[in-house]
Amino acid sequence: MMAAMSTGGGEPGSQAESRTSRSPQAMLERRYARLGLLLIAPSIVVFSAVIIYPLLAAIYLSLFELYTPTLEGGFVGLSNYRELLARGEFWVSLRNTLVWTAGTLSLQIVFGIGMALMLHQNVWFRSLARSLILFPYFVSTVVAVLVWRWLFNDLYGILNHLLVEARLIDMPIDYLGAMPNAMISIILVGAWKYFPFVVIAVLARLQTIPDVLYEAARIDGAGPIARFFDVTLPQLREVLLVIVLLRAIWDFKEFDLIFLLTGGGPVISTQTLSLLVYKEAFALNQMGMGAAYGVVMMAIMLVFMIFYIRQARKGDSS
Amino acid sequence: MQNTHDIGPTRSRRALLKALVAAAALGSLPRQALSRSAELRWWTPQGAPAQLDAYRYQIAAFEAVNAGVSVVLEPLSDESYATQLAAAFSSGQVPDVVTHLPSFSVQSYYARGLVEPFNDVIEAVGPGDYYPGANNVFRAADGNYVATGIGNSAVNILWLRTDMMERAGLERPPITWDEFRAALTKLHGRGIYGTALPYGRNSATSLVFIGFIHGAGGQVFTPDLQVAIDSEETRNALEYYREIRDFSPRGATNYSWGDCLTAFVSGATATGLYTGRVLANVRDQNPRLADHITCALWPRLSRDIPPWTFNDFPSVFVPAQSRHKGLAKRLAAFLFEPEGYIRQLHAAPGHVLPVLRSIGEDRRYRDNDIIRKYRDEVNLMAEAAAGGYNLGYESNAHRANEKAGEIIASGVIADMVQRVVLNRENVDAVLSRTARAIEEVMKG
Repeated sequence: MMAAMSTGGGEPGSQAESRTSRSPQAMLERRYARLGLLLIAPSIVVFSAVIIYPLLAAIYLSLFELYTPTLEGGFVGLSNYRELLARGEFWVSLRNTLVWTAGTLSLQIVFGIGMALMLHQNVWFRSLARSLILFPYFVSTVVAVLVWRWLFNDLYGILNHLLVEARLIDMPIDYLGAMPNAMISIILVGAWKYFPFVVIAVLARLQTIPDVLYEAARIDGAGPIARFFDVTLPQLREVLLVIVLLRAIWDFKEFDLIFLLTGGGPVISTQTLSLLVYKEAFALNQMGMGAAYGVVMMAIMLVFMIFYIRQARKGDSS
Repeated sequence: MQNTHDIGPTRSRRALLKALVAAAALGSLPRQALSRSAELRWWTPQGAPAQLDAYRYQIAAFEAVNAGVSVVLEPLSDESYATQLAAAFSSGQVPDVVTHLPSFSVQSYYARGLVEPFNDVIEAVGPGDYYPGANNVFRAADGNYVATGIGNSAVNILWLRTDMMERAGLERPPITWDEFRAALTKLHGRGIYGTALPYGRNSATSLVFIGFIHGAGGQVFTPDLQVAIDSEETRNALEYYREIRDFSPRGATNYSWGDCLTAFVSGATATGLYTGRVLANVRDQNPRLADHITCALWPRLSRDIPPWTFNDFPSVFVPAQSRHKGLAKRLAAFLFEPEGYIRQLHAAPGHVLPVLRSIGEDRRYRDNDIIRKYRDEVNLMAEAAAGGYNLGYESNAHRANEKAGEIIASGVIADMVQRVVLNRENVDAVLSRTARAIEEVMKG
């Protein structure tokens, strides 16, 4: 009917347009466009259900004072945000989160690149070693934490036992109950647990670096260290950008490992923002305040990520 | 006879599609619409293998006398039940029966309308059979009972190594704090720690320390629930808890219940604090200690102060959103049937103590190797637990405190202990801050 109306318009231009729009090429394109929309629709629906809806729901919940088990309560506007920003506990937890994220991420990158370089060499049992290195990453966090708690134990833990036997210490070290030991311990366990991710990604990239680059560097007289900094590291730049981005996000919101190792203690010395969200939402049953912390966490991450990506792009362009 | 499942070549695709839609719609109906059967979900944080076996026995017996009813047992952990229940309540997907949660948690849920009154279950079990006052802790402000005790538990019991006491010249268990400190001084050394108390940032530290406040003659709340923690008694308790810190292992700064238990059972400490689970663990894990342990009430500041035993009053209750309340209550009452109940108690002898007099005196209950061997200890714990208290019910004069669960979960009391003992912060400042934090939770 629309086509009939347009042909009756009498204008030569619109007639030409109509002919063009009815041409087999245009109809095919429209059909492709519809098919494209149809094909992308499931992804949009899933994305909306698992990302957009929870995000909007979290922002919405953060404007209420809600009792978690019943989700009953009243609208309080931005007062949850005002209250959390006024709390010292928030700033301490933010500082802890940043220390934990920076500490564990740095170690993961250093250990990960080191191990990937080693596994890239023609060493004995390379295939077996490459498989075994993934073990910490695949093992469940609960199991990993139980094993580490056992190792750290002051009464029957092997670490203290060896140190005492070697006469390096007189009394067992309190790894998880005193500062700064507790923060150092969770950073080390986090690095141990997650560095295999860096190994996998870096190793994959190392295998695609052309040998001619290394040969050229050798001809120019570059030693192993110079080859690493002048050839390998620049080639790893892009993959490291992605690794740092992903691992920073995951480490920033890490919950289970820290909760199970120290519970945030001593006092709140290892309490990160994720633990604070949990405490508000499920220990104190204040879902609104918990959601407000969650939204603030997301905002902080967003700011950091935008800054990080901009810096990385600046580096690329220069 | 026509085969309705046969889709021959004459059937169209549309017919097949209709059949699929119809089948999907039927599948989405509640099970009860299809048949008269019902499935009950039972949640419990007490999941030791022997206890689970006992529960399964009770389930099989219940299913045998209730045709068409099945019961699914879903163990939780002590640390996660609050989270899981919060999610269950908010989603409406609740269990039908919940057991072994502390009384103060149930009071908190009842106050929000999430728990079914339990008067009829108590009537079915037989109110006259309970030990005197056993259900007082479950009485709500409206006069209803919110749950009933499925067991009693004397938590802050002092466990002692008799062989070490003998070597140290100690003739009897300490009664006062001074005697306890003197005993620890004698017992500590040569690779053995005096005791193992929790100093971690966890509920164990909070709950144990509340016992110390009462041991000093203080209280966290007044009977009408005004915050009373900022007191001379709490100061004394904090200072004493700090004084005896060095008698515990260094890692006690991260200890919770399990660590305290293991430290004593493994023989690393001369004394310990735990429930009667010590008995079964010593028998199973370190039998060489079996003839050298005994227990006593936890010492207090002076003999004038009455002992205060912490009993978490493990409960059984039915969520108000249960779709099978009648059946759930029938199951709750059935859990007290002597044969199954005794099996349940024998799964952790001395740890969960009976709430019914008839069971406590039952020959079948008494006929257990641990209960026979440690008769005096079990009797002491049973008596102490029956007269026990917790933060939701600090004394007979106190109103039920619906916020007790949240105060424990908030960690403010453990924080207070850690600030004073580990960080050596000013006691007055910490106490004042803790009182304010508790008031905030009470208001929330």
